[in-house]
Amino acid sequence: MHFFLQQVVNGLTTGSLYALIALGYSMVYGVLKLLNFAHGDLYMLGAFVGYFVLQWFGGADGLSIPVPLVLLFMFTAAAFSMGGLGMAIERFAYRPLRDAPRIAPLITALGVSFFLENAVLLLFGAQTRIYNTPEFISFKTGIHIGAFSIDIVRIMVIVLSLALMFALREIVNRTTLGKSMRAVAIDREAAEMLGINVDRTIALTFFLGSALAGIAGVMAGLVFNQVYNLIGFVAGLKAFTAAVVGGIGSLPGAVLGGLLIGLAESFAAGYISSTYQNLIVFGVLIVVMLVRPSGLLGHAKIEKV
Amino acid sequence: MRTRKLAMLLLLPVLALVVAACGSSNKSNTSTGGAGTAAAKTDCTAQVAVEAPITGPVAQLGGEQLHFAQLAADEDNAANGTKITIVQGDTQLEPKQATTVTRQFVSNNKIVAIVGPAGSQEVSAIGSAITRAGLPAISGSATNTDLTQKGSFPTFFRVVARDDVQGPQDANYIANTLKPKKVMLVDDQTSYSTGLADAIIPVLKGKGIAVDRESVNQKQTDFSTLASKVDAQTSVVILPWQVAANAQQFGQNLAEQNKKAVIFGTDGLFSPDQFKIPGSYVSAFGPDITGIASDADIVQKAKSKFGSFGTFGPPVYAAMHVVDEAISSVCKAGQTPSRSNVLAAIKKTDQPESILGQPIKFDAKGDLVGAKFFQFKLDAKGKYQLVTGS
Repeated sequence: MHFFLQQVVNGLTTGSLYALIALGYSMVYGVLKLLNFAHGDLYMLGAFVGYFVLQWFGGADGLSIPVPLVLLFMFTAAAFSMGGLGMAIERFAYRPLRDAPRIAPLITALGVSFFLENAVLLLFGAQTRIYNTPEFISFKTGIHIGAFSIDIVRIMVIVLSLALMFALREIVNRTTLGKSMRAVAIDREAAEMLGINVDRTIALTFFLGSALAGIAGVMAGLVFNQVYNLIGFVAGLKAFTAAVVGGIGSLPGAVLGGLLIGLAESFAAGYISSTYQNLIVFGVLIVVMLVRPSGLLGHAKIEKV
Repeated sequence: MRTRKLAMLLLLPVLALVVAACGSSNKSNTSTGGAGTAAAKTDCTAQVAVEAPITGPVAQLGGEQLHFAQLAADEDNAANGTKITIVQGDTQLEPKQATTVTRQFVSNNKIVAIVGPAGSQEVSAIGSAITRAGLPAISGSATNTDLTQKGSFPTFFRVVARDDVQGPQDANYIANTLKPKKVMLVDDQTSYSTGLADAIIPVLKGKGIAVDRESVNQKQTDFSTLASKVDAQTSVVILPWQVAANAQQFGQNLAEQNKKAVIFGTDGLFSPDQFKIPGSYVSAFGPDITGIASDADIVQKAKSKFGSFGTFGPPVYAAMHVVDEAISSVCKAGQTPSRSNVLAAIKKTDQPESILGQPIKFDAKGDLVGAKFFQFKLDAKGKYQLVTGS
């Protein structure tokens, strides 16, 4: 039983990260019908920002301020810097191409992705940066029952992710910004005619999505420790898959897809074979897509942002 | 396809810079090394090229190799009255770069031998060029089995063991010293990793040890699921991996879930900076010479000159020493050092002892006779300590 629970926890941790990144993919797709392939790289940069903030306050083994405060700074710095970067990318790379054929911004997105990956390589080098979380958050904190254990970092990741997803849902459903986002998603021209500032709405959508990716990056750094310039690629790909499986454009779908992939990965490796983990996961996904081509929650346009 | 092209396009300026940088460094090195070859016979003057990754991602390793080559040359020159100078060749651990550098060395007749290159892939790349030129090369870190096994590079030698020595030797160490009932072996899906795994598993099974073979992508950074598969009977997790940071993460995942199994890593994980899980084991193709009593003098000199060092430098010292002695013996026989007579002298090498703590003698294929790997245990502080086992 503890083995099963352990896999659930492992799956939920990676699943929450995929879900946070997938939300950004889905939101941007919702308002612009654009697959923002640079999104995974914002996650990577967020992890770097968190790392540098950690170093700024003395590094894993010599923190000069209390741990919760460091975490707060890491998360806010990553969220705001990535949010800002996301808006800048939208302004300079995507807005000029908004009325171009769909394939053009897609290629631009790939270009932005390579640009970010290689810029980081040039600026910070190829070596792996290590958060070394156990140095400042002991494994001993958390829940340990017999052979089953969840340390506090994983609990934090799962709880914080759920809180952020809930907050995002509230923003989309209850605020004026959320209403504008939904309006732009349904019909951009009509929204503009009704006096909605489309540019601003799209920019803020990018801000929100990118901030979530930045936060996910810091979480990944805390849980998985390693940060280097290519970590965004695989995570971005998995999150993109999560968004598609959940039904791209649908926010609950992105969350569902992310958690589903995280759990599928964990159970595939735990119960069947780690060698064929990705094969099994993607096999399941292909079956899902065959049965529901528009994704799990894609067809029901309840919340098409 | 389109994405790859785009990536190449973006990488081009970076590559250009790198190439420009090493091109210029090579030029300056050759010109400084070219002095005084006129009185060869009486002076015993010769040039030896050292190929190492002096810049680039593993520059630290290459710098160490260059330093130890220089140290060996200085000492041997003083002891033998030779005038051997080193010509530097920066390969950056890139086969392409090694080929370019080697081409220059081949066309420079004053160079009688190469010490290096560092990587097996580089040796493969320059093998035919040095064979055609009859130019001997001795590597201090290329361990790929095929380099000598196939016999296609007759002028290539190495002072370290081959990969096919590592797998069985590690397996025997685990079976005889750690005595597990059950082990988990996780390969990282690279040829390095699966090759070693295939060599380790039969030995363990032959000794009645149960093996749970797992596999994980080298790009993966979460090993908590694998860690939870380590059951109470499993006391050793064997990781034939190349990314030390991944092993560090695996170790932390084990600790997180309160697992007692120890990690045994192959030489790819030998990285005191990145892999430091207390109680783990790592094997390496070079010994830690700070633990060899007869090396105290060299250790002292190397430390005062270049600071701390690892396992990459000493084998290069040994390789350089072989070349130095070969050149000296040619001179003593009244000949001018050339590629052919130095090659012949290297083949006759028979040193009863060396910096590596073992005799140096080559077999017909150019491999070190009696070569072995070395096992290290990480103490409570994560510091590497040489352990002896069977």
